[in-house]
Amino acid sequence: MQNQLETTEEEECVLRPMNCELNQLSRPDGSAMFMQGDTVVVAGVYGPIEAKLQKMMHDRATVETMFSPAKGPPCVDDRAKETVIRETCEAVLLTALHPGMAISINVQELQDSGGLLACAINAACLALIISSISMKFTVAAVSCMIDRESGKLIVDPDSTQIQQARVTFTYVFEGIKKDLVSCHTTGRFSENELMESLEKCRAASQNIFDFYRNIVEQYAIKL
Amino acid sequence: MASQYKTIHPVKYLRDYLAQDIRPDGREFLRFRSASVNVGAISQADSSAIFKIGSTTVVCGIKAELAAPKADTPNCGYLIPNVELSPLCSPKFRPGPPSDQAQVASKTIDDILINSSALDLTDLCVCIDKLVWVLYCDLICIDYDGSVTDACLGALVAALKSLTLPEVQHNPETGAIVVDTSDRKPFPLKSLPVSTTFAIFDEQLLLADPTDEEESLAKGKLCLVIDGPELCGLYKPGGIPISQELLSKSLEKSKKRADLIRKVIEAAVTN
Amino acid sequence: MPFDQKRINGPEVSVPYSVYTDVNKSKSSKPKKSLHKRVDGREHKDLRKIFVKTGVISQAKGSAYIEVGITKVVCSVFDPREIPNKNEYSLQGELFCEFKYAPFACAKRRIHQQDAEEKEFSLVMQRSLEPAVCRQEFPNFQVDVYALVLDNGGSSLAAAIMCASLALADASVPMFGLVTAVSAGFYKDTMFLDLTVEEEVLCNSAPAKPNPPNNHGLIMQAALPQHDQISEFFLVGSINIDCIKQAIETLTVANKNICPVVQQCLVKTVLRALKRKEQEKN
Repeated sequence: MQNQLETTEEEECVLRPMNCELNQLSRPDGSAMFMQGDTVVVAGVYGPIEAKLQKMMHDRATVETMFSPAKGPPCVDDRAKETVIRETCEAVLLTALHPGMAISINVQELQDSGGLLACAINAACLALIISSISMKFTVAAVSCMIDRESGKLIVDPDSTQIQQARVTFTYVFEGIKKDLVSCHTTGRFSENELMESLEKCRAASQNIFDFYRNIVEQYAIKL
Repeated sequence: MASQYKTIHPVKYLRDYLAQDIRPDGREFLRFRSASVNVGAISQADSSAIFKIGSTTVVCGIKAELAAPKADTPNCGYLIPNVELSPLCSPKFRPGPPSDQAQVASKTIDDILINSSALDLTDLCVCIDKLVWVLYCDLICIDYDGSVTDACLGALVAALKSLTLPEVQHNPETGAIVVDTSDRKPFPLKSLPVSTTFAIFDEQLLLADPTDEEESLAKGKLCLVIDGPELCGLYKPGGIPISQELLSKSLEKSKKRADLIRKVIEAAVTN
Repeated sequence: MPFDQKRINGPEVSVPYSVYTDVNKSKSSKPKKSLHKRVDGREHKDLRKIFVKTGVISQAKGSAYIEVGITKVVCSVFDPREIPNKNEYSLQGELFCEFKYAPFACAKRRIHQQDAEEKEFSLVMQRSLEPAVCRQEFPNFQVDVYALVLDNGGSSLAAAIMCASLALADASVPMFGLVTAVSAGFYKDTMFLDLTVEEEVLCNSAPAKPNPPNNHGLIMQAALPQHDQISEFFLVGSINIDCIKQAIETLTVANKNICPVVQQCLVKTVLRALKRKEQEKN
């Protein structure tokens, strides 16, 4: 009995299986199709390209993001996701290397089974790695939730689990010191819950960084 | 001389100040600007509030209308918050449809209200599956000088807190509706979320309640929403990574600030 | 309401609750009464109290706030910028005016986009202000003027024009003089000055018994009282010529009466600016 409890507990801290296809798209400079469980996102990166005159900045590159939902035209919700993705990528990129240029990141949702924002950021990060644009660090996004009834913390929940969520967190960590780059929350939570979830997700983010390393290595060998 | 220096080299101008442990407007790093709120100034709105933080000003006006509820939530009313960052408030904005920034602000305010469960949408129900209230909350920024989310949330909460709705008699069989405007009941607001914005600069330097100038040069932004002992939002859209200590420090500061703002709003509403 | 992808949308149809109020209970025969005595107790040719203040918006080059009765308008003016989408050189600068009601400013909720009435008022504003501005001073450039009505208690166009002229002065745009504006309305033979919303509605409707001449309508006159000039005369309705002549005279006097209020505010602005300059020097 004791043994069984432990295994379930361990399972809750484990991320859903990840899968990735790199550079499947021929037009973009780098692209990645990233799967976390049943959540699937495609990201394509163009850049550095010529910036639009209105958005051009003389001292660094502008970062443009387009987030397209699986169905329907983008609305206010998607604009909010887009902003998080853009600002995260802006933090990641060495924009000062390409003054007056633009880097365009396009993210297309294919299927959402929980943790869409995290998946989109991971896909964008992989696409940036593959497009070989200079970056300061890599980032990994992890989502987690607290169950309404049991009060249990579940890392990387799927869509059925999310139905029961009282709180959801999405954290983005950088790969060097594991400091917090971005954060988005829904629901009410206490300070302890925040700190606890932050620690667990920080630990879980290592899995994603390892995954990045593996997948890029495999890709490099194939080349 | 200082003003020329500021226009020519804004980044260095600010950095020189920060190196002297002071901000261009004379505040210390973790000092907030004074906030004030005025309730019920607009006669045509069902309730209204004007919220000022330093020179940042946001006006919130609420118009209540009646509509049929959504089929999947037959006992819930609607709350429609929209933030308007018009060209009136800053030369940064151009006329036309809402900018990305305004859309994100609207979404953030909407999220905070839902997350804080400050209001129960079932309180807006008049007759299940037939008639509910729609609260159109329009937040118009009059002066854009940083920390606009804080001012928007403050204005919205103050307006909601002072909102009264007229008594509605609805006959489910005939569908006849009679509204008695002489009998207005206050609308129950369950809690009072307060948001605080911080700007983050190099080497984990934290500035509380940034002005527009500081916000536009900052390396990152952090927004904490506090409601009583709990949090109901932590938003950090990208930017420079922050350490655990910085997060704890901002949390502590924003709690104190939330208490103060709550008092300001409650005092304004009771008067 | 049409679905707007860039805003948070409400239900497709919603009705203001005022349509369901008991009409018999709340409203008595108001229009008739107001022909003899106005609802707010003013005489027919009395103006409401005016409050003006400049420098209300820190981010704008110049700004002003005005209260006329319960009507509240804010206005901001920005640095000149090149006229967009223009190829040939224009000798005179342009004023770009935008007049907008806040969604909650009127009895009925307004949509976010400018409607036809607001677009028309924007043009009226532009026409009233342009003669007062030394446009030759900034050729090929335009100055943006934004006016927002926060609370509509009648005569908001007139209030917006005065507010804009103060904001322009506050932004140190070179001008020939200040612009003031007053509205008037006719219903049968009665003339009202500085209309409230109810009076605007009344004067906009044709009298029930069309005893000829069918006199009703609204007039808005903007003027440069320091030069005895009228910069804009905006009329809606059908009013006979004698009445119009009478109206122009009354409105000109009214404009002259308002002028000192606006001038005083400007003097205060200048004194404040001088003080600030001195402080900066020390």
